[in-house]
Amino acid sequence: MSMPKITFKESNRRYLRAFVPVMVFYSVFCFAGPALLEKAGNPPRALVAMVALLSATPLVVVFWLMGRLLRETDEYTRLIQSRAMLAGGGFTLSFAGVWGFLEHFGIAPHLWPFLLIPLFFASYGAAMVIHQLRTGKGESR
Amino acid sequence: MKNILKELRATRGWSQGDLADALGVSRQSVNALETGKYDPSLPLAFRIARLFGKRIEEIFDDEA
Repeated sequence: MSMPKITFKESNRRYLRAFVPVMVFYSVFCFAGPALLEKAGNPPRALVAMVALLSATPLVVVFWLMGRLLRETDEYTRLIQSRAMLAGGGFTLSFAGVWGFLEHFGIAPHLWPFLLIPLFFASYGAAMVIHQLRTGKGESR
Repeated sequence: MKNILKELRATRGWSQGDLADALGVSRQSVNALETGKYDPSLPLAFRIARLFGKRIEEIFDDEA
């Protein structure tokens, strides 16, 4: 058995090389999109739809990149990341379910669904931190 | 599963990072393997064994 097709470091580099420009585009377009629509005055529905879809596209790409990273990274990292993503996804969907019913019955105000994405990343990150605290960093030498 | 990975690494004077690079995995993976918190897959166990010129059962002990 030889080395894996791609090493841990290479898979991380490949992820970051794609992640950074996608996030730059997202950050810029979140401001540029609404500015463009405002400048257009009364923009056609198709333009509004295009701006909305272009705003969401980087998020979809990031999830695809995360999936590729999971396939390419080493087996231990894949296990830890998968667990953290499951924890983050489980927490986010549970929150969405509870909030959805509260909103449906008029208790909670309306929540934009795209706000669940940062909640997912926050809970996924928290799960990773909890794992680090539980296992320790280990020795560096 | 107990193993002698840490001892084998020490004989070569390698850091966890050195071993991680040699195996193409993260340093955290090596730490998890050495501390017995993670058992490697068969392909990774073979890579480790070949790297140190030993058989898998000479490195990993599932009965300890």
